[in-house]
Amino acid sequence: MAELHPTEESLVLQLIIGLLYPFMLLYGFHIILNGQFTPGGGFQGGCILATLFVARYVVFPVDDMDSERMHIIERLFLVLILVIPVLLLFTGVVSRYPAYRPLYLMIMDLVIGVEVAFGLGVAVLRFAFFQGVGQTWRL
Amino acid sequence: MIEAALLVLMGVFALLAIHSQLLRRAILYLAMMSLLGAFLYLRYAAPELAIAEAAIGSGLVTLLYLAALKRNRVYTIGVIGKDGGNRLQDSYIRHAERSRALREVRGFFAAREFEVQTVFIPESLETALANDAYDLVLQEDDEGMIAYTDDESYIMLELELMCQMHGASSLRFVRH
Repeated sequence: MAELHPTEESLVLQLIIGLLYPFMLLYGFHIILNGQFTPGGGFQGGCILATLFVARYVVFPVDDMDSERMHIIERLFLVLILVIPVLLLFTGVVSRYPAYRPLYLMIMDLVIGVEVAFGLGVAVLRFAFFQGVGQTWRL
Repeated sequence: MIEAALLVLMGVFALLAIHSQLLRRAILYLAMMSLLGAFLYLRYAAPELAIAEAAIGSGLVTLLYLAALKRNRVYTIGVIGKDGGNRLQDSYIRHAERSRALREVRGFFAAREFEVQTVFIPESLETALANDAYDLVLQEDDEGMIAYTDDESYIMLELELMCQMHGASSLRFVRH
């Protein structure tokens, strides 16, 4: 059995989270993509995806993820949330082609899901690696 | 009927979480309460809310609490039996768990909201003292337990003081 480093979590937690990791990813995207037909949607699926960041921190607490870049991705998707409805909904594209309405809803769910996942992930990582002195982040 | 049962169970788990001595256990009780809340939302025909409650309450928040708990210092107590811990059996562990000294030490740490994990070690005292993983080593003898530590921290000084104040305490304190 491998020797545990003091900062690492117990082997049980490591194995269980490692086992569940792909299923959590799959389930998050399942909830996002089927959000228009079944309960769930962008926010709920995004929360499950954000759980992945926390799970990774619990097992492997190393600050090697660039939270500034994650924040940029999050802001990009926030812009997309505003831009896509303006381009597709308010110009009447969606109401003119009703056959493509499920596709539009799916895209919106996906964008909201990724936005929520990265937003909560950035919040959690900054909480986790916040050392308190001399560090500030632009909002 | 099911709703009432779920509500009562949620109350029970909330009380358990408040009165639990171990923080890790309290976190799991909170996750259970959240999961029951998700079932309750499902019974009240709010499946969207149920999924959100299950994903956030028992997924994200539970892991967040676990991550916060990593920041908390955990004291490891090693317990050695009378004959150097050669026989490590369930009956011995039950006996040691009931002993007054171990309950005193646990109560001491619980009163200060420190997390404690107890390890029963089948090793001799010398190897246990050489191991840095144990903050406090308890060895059982005829009168109770002897506590060995080289930890100079404030909490250990307080524990030593407590042992000295209680004259007839079942715990004696040795620094090495």
